Amino acid sequence: MISTHLKTAIQNLKSNKQVGIVTITTFAIAFSIFGLFLVIFVNLNSILATWSKQVQIVVYLKDDISLEERQALEDLIPKNPDVESATFVPKELAWKNFKNDFSANADILNSLDINPLPASYNLQFKQSADRVERIREFAETLSRKPGVESLEYGEKWISRFEQFMVFLRVFLLAVGGLLSLGLIFILANTIKLSVVSRQAEIELMLLIGATHRFIKGPFLVEGMLQGFLGAVISLILLKGIHIYMKFQFLESIQSILRGGEILFISPLHSLMLISIGLFVGWIGSYISINQFLFAGDLS
Amino acid sequence: MIQLYNIFKTYNGKIPALNDISLLIKEGAFVFITGPSGAGKSTLLKLLYRWENFDSGQVLVNGMNIAKIKYTKLHLLRRNIGVVFQDYKLLPNRTVFENVAFAKEVVGASTKTIRFKTLDSLKKVGLLDKRDSYPLQLSGGEQQRVAIARAIVNSPKILLADEPTGNLDPDMAMEIVRLFQSANERGMTVVFATHNHDLVAKSKYPFIMLNRGSIVRS
Ligand SMILES: Nc1ncnc2c1ncn2[C@@H]1O[C@H](COP(=O)(O)OP(=O)(O)OP(=O)(O)O)[C@@H](O)[C@H]1O
Ligand SMILES: [Mg+2]
Repeated sequence: MISTHLKTAIQNLKSNKQVGIVTITTFAIAFSIFGLFLVIFVNLNSILATWSKQVQIVVYLKDDISLEERQALEDLIPKNPDVESATFVPKELAWKNFKNDFSANADILNSLDINPLPASYNLQFKQSADRVERIREFAETLSRKPGVESLEYGEKWISRFEQFMVFLRVFLLAVGGLLSLGLIFILANTIKLSVVSRQAEIELMLLIGATHRFIKGPFLVEGMLQGFLGAVISLILLKGIHIYMKFQFLESIQSILRGGEILFISPLHSLMLISIGLFVGWIGSYISINQFLFAGDLS
Repeated sequence: MIQLYNIFKTYNGKIPALNDISLLIKEGAFVFITGPSGAGKSTLLKLLYRWENFDSGQVLVNGMNIAKIKYTKLHLLRRNIGVVFQDYKLLPNRTVFENVAFAKEVVGASTKTIRFKTLDSLKKVGLLDKRDSYPLQLSGGEQQRVAIARAIVNSPKILLADEPTGNLDPDMAMEIVRLFQSANERGMTVVFATHNHDLVAKSKYPFIMLNRGSIVRS
């Protein structure tokens, strides 16, 4: 049954070749736009993940911190199971490191005879899924301890980035939804042309006792085939763009991100894109053929 | 069995096409529906396979009250009715064989059955040698016979023929009647609509004569 439907569907497509090609191309373009957003999303997500992994806390201490206060901190920090390592950086070392980092300005720095830098603890955290969240919580606790001057970690950045990713996700859903609606509309029209060009045959099928399901079959397959081809072509196109981008920009990107990859959408996402193509094709053609069949309902 | 009770039918709520028609056609019968052009013959047949609606009355076909059948279930009615349409309704892009086979494909028969039954049906109407021709390469009478072959290929209980001798010469027309006769002998109920009185007169079968939507003689 499926194979006869497929045969008829391909025949239909061939006899309406131009419209079919236009529709498939439209699908391919729409899916490529969506896919491009998806690729951007996937890559930003991976950058976010890399950054989150590098987040650590620097606890700056007041110059007049008391011994008891320091001891309290030294007791507290190892108690947190998420802390991988903690190193104390005394004022002098901080100043020396700073001067090393900015050796070009050594003259000016050397002319200062006070050390403006505070002592600090550098805390490294273990990897875990909710690492940033845990760091945030611990930072909260530490900042309230006496003797702590201030805290520094990438929290603000990460939060903003995370918010942006949430926005991007909503944006992607909206774009995907709108594109799908548009595609359904376009496909419904394409299938309508196919239906109308076979009107006499459909009428005859109804007259000689074909089920609605049998009549719908080829049109549904035709719609799904167009959606499928559109999605597959867009994936090929995207892969091409991806390879080109990699070839052209990988080095500059790696230098910015300290060794990153330009990722392609995952196989799951590709499968999703193809499923959307099939689904949109099915819905669009279902609307058209159903509308046509029920126009003949006498009751 | 076909039963009509007080059927009224108008087109677009204006033109009366059938006016209080009641009739009974028993299983296995052969009945002519006759009357002048515009009398309502085609309309009557179309009611039977529910291609047209009626305004009031009741129609029973094979024990089913056809007004009660859901739109999506009409195939259950139509699979028991073979129709030879007044305008043949042959598909021009399919061969004679494919046209006849189409009626079997549509009801989901297996490839082997389709082939066997189609050839058998074409043999019955004497068109085996034309099986690879296209409808437009055939004469009117031959097209008519393809339509008949397609109508009988599913061995329906009821065979409806709408003017199947339309523009044929008298000999050819008799030939066609004989085809329906043999279908009738195989057990099909035949309803044969024609405005050709000679044809009806020459046969032994009962007739129902319509004029302007009413039965005037039977
Ligand atoms: N689809 C339609 N819409 C409107 N009026 C119609 C329609 N079909 C038939 N009629 C009218 O209904 C009446 C009966 O038509 P019908 O086709 O049943 O006649 P008939 O007996 O089959 O005629 P013929 O011998 O010419 O085929 C005619 O007056 C015709 O004009
Ligand atoms: Mg007629």
